[in-house]
Amino acid sequence: MIRNIYKFLSSVKLAMALLVVILSCCVVGVTIYRGVEAGTHIFSTFWFNGLLVMLVVNVCFCFFPRILNRKLTLISLGMILFHLSFVAILGGIVFNSLFHFAGLIRLTEGETLPSGDLQSYDFAEQGRFFDIGKLRGDTTLIKMHVGHRVDGADKKVAYEISVGEGEAKKQGIIFITKHLEYRGFRYFCDREGYAVLIVLYDKMGRELYGGYYPLQSLRQEDGSYLYTTGTKDGPGSIAYPYDRPQPLFSLQVAYRPSKISERGGEAFFQVWPLTHEGERPEAKPLAEGKAALGEMFDAGDYYLSLKEVRYWTAMFVRYDPGLPIVLASLWVGFGGMVITFIGRMRRMRN
Amino acid sequence: MKAELVCFWIAVGLYGVSTFSYIFGLIARQEKLFTVGLYGALAGFIPHTIAIGLRWSETGISPFISISESITLGTFMAVLIFLIFQFSTKKVRPLGVLVMPVVFVLIGWAGTLMKEIATTLAPALQSAWIWVHIIGASAGFGSVLVAAAFGLMYLLKERSSGGIANKLPELQTLDNLSYRFIAGGFIMYGLMIVSGAFWSNQVKGNYWNWDPVEVWSLISWLIYGIYLHLRITFGWRGRKLAWYALIALIAMIISYWGIPFSVETFHKGFRIEH
Repeated sequence: MIRNIYKFLSSVKLAMALLVVILSCCVVGVTIYRGVEAGTHIFSTFWFNGLLVMLVVNVCFCFFPRILNRKLTLISLGMILFHLSFVAILGGIVFNSLFHFAGLIRLTEGETLPSGDLQSYDFAEQGRFFDIGKLRGDTTLIKMHVGHRVDGADKKVAYEISVGEGEAKKQGIIFITKHLEYRGFRYFCDREGYAVLIVLYDKMGRELYGGYYPLQSLRQEDGSYLYTTGTKDGPGSIAYPYDRPQPLFSLQVAYRPSKISERGGEAFFQVWPLTHEGERPEAKPLAEGKAALGEMFDAGDYYLSLKEVRYWTAMFVRYDPGLPIVLASLWVGFGGMVITFIGRMRRMRN
Repeated sequence: MKAELVCFWIAVGLYGVSTFSYIFGLIARQEKLFTVGLYGALAGFIPHTIAIGLRWSETGISPFISISESITLGTFMAVLIFLIFQFSTKKVRPLGVLVMPVVFVLIGWAGTLMKEIATTLAPALQSAWIWVHIIGASAGFGSVLVAAAFGLMYLLKERSSGGIANKLPELQTLDNLSYRFIAGGFIMYGLMIVSGAFWSNQVKGNYWNWDPVEVWSLISWLIYGIYLHLRITFGWRGRKLAWYALIALIAMIISYWGIPFSVETFHKGFRIEH
């Protein structure tokens, strides 16, 4: 039985079959299925990852026993390094999957969230043995810089952030090709949007409430963007004020940025009576209209005003202790290919 | 018409002359036409180089980003490798029978897709890794194209005798040359994938995401990896591998320029129009 298993795993035909099957899966994953679907049906599945693991196991059983019995030459050295890199990559991936952390943290300018609280993240995943205590201190978005330039190169946007705790706190500017690292955690730019300060007034003009509302950036057919409340799938309304036990009405706000001044512009308000769980009825709105930044909009019993525009940003926070193993192995594998090539060319010449 | 475009279309025209010289040379069994084809390729390579240089100097931004620029660079590298081989060895005179038509069709296609030069480089592309990445990709393409041409030469020599076939090197030499160029292309694709992983890690923090562009590059690499396994482990030689090299080239062209550029893949994250 064990002999048969060993025979199966050390078969060169198995290696070839696995390569062909993996290749076929890749072709299906970019033709029949695409994007998220390809991940769901192929690349993230247990069986596909099993095939990749099987390939590495096959390399161990099939390649190494054969090559290690041979005399060490430039060719065999290169091939050993090349195949060894696959084993090391798998080792790095497995190690990383057990100890990694990945989270998407969304902050409005000036906002601080505790890094170690998973509630701070829109999305978070971690390895089985990841110690959440490693995520210490807070994460703050100090400011988002538009038109940021480094050595004359336009980086478009950069986030000025601060992470950590106490004296070990680290502050820096990150942009698309530069991240910030703090105790092994890396902070990457992901995306950004507008957050508008919507203030509620009574009819006497007294300020009753104010809160920042992040807006979705929805791409229109003509290529322009609509910045509005809602979800990533389309515009929608919110119960306003959302953080009060008794919201007053259902509100949709759309913001049109000024082409002249940054953070200037006007807002479009639509107010509906609040229904069960903040749902918006299909009926006509109670009030609708627009108001420039700082101006008041008559919302029936109240006034509303778009008082300030800030940016929100989403950052990926990553902790990947297996990453150096994987990246180093890629170069080892590449070096192996080059050494084998040189060895074979020399042998052909001789 | 801009000087850059004039040079580009002169290059296309000369590659066309080279292409038809090679094809008619093969049909009419006129070896002199291969010489015309070779010098036509060399003549076309000069304005091809100037066109790239002019485009580059206009804004200082590397002109290898859009699909037409990528094809222009890929064909540039293919012609460069082809010319270096031809002028350094003079071994396989009809080699351009496959290389030049492929180059001619691709560069002509690039001409129809050409757009104005970008005035700014997207921030995600402002990375040193892009250089390693595009050199790996274009040199890989050039290598496997020449390898496929050796495969074609192998099939020609095997099927016909006398005339041009007699002047081709031995079958084993052609087979070995095809293998060498495929091994070189395999390494270059490896370099493309490794540098792409480092680039992705720099920008997104992960080295592999099963993104369609990544998967297509893996497909190209696996195709040639299987070729090498078939040759080294299973002892395949000759006709079967010659056909393999030719079919793999088609898959490679699709994977390189066909589908990855038709889908939005790289970094969809920018949400605000700044």
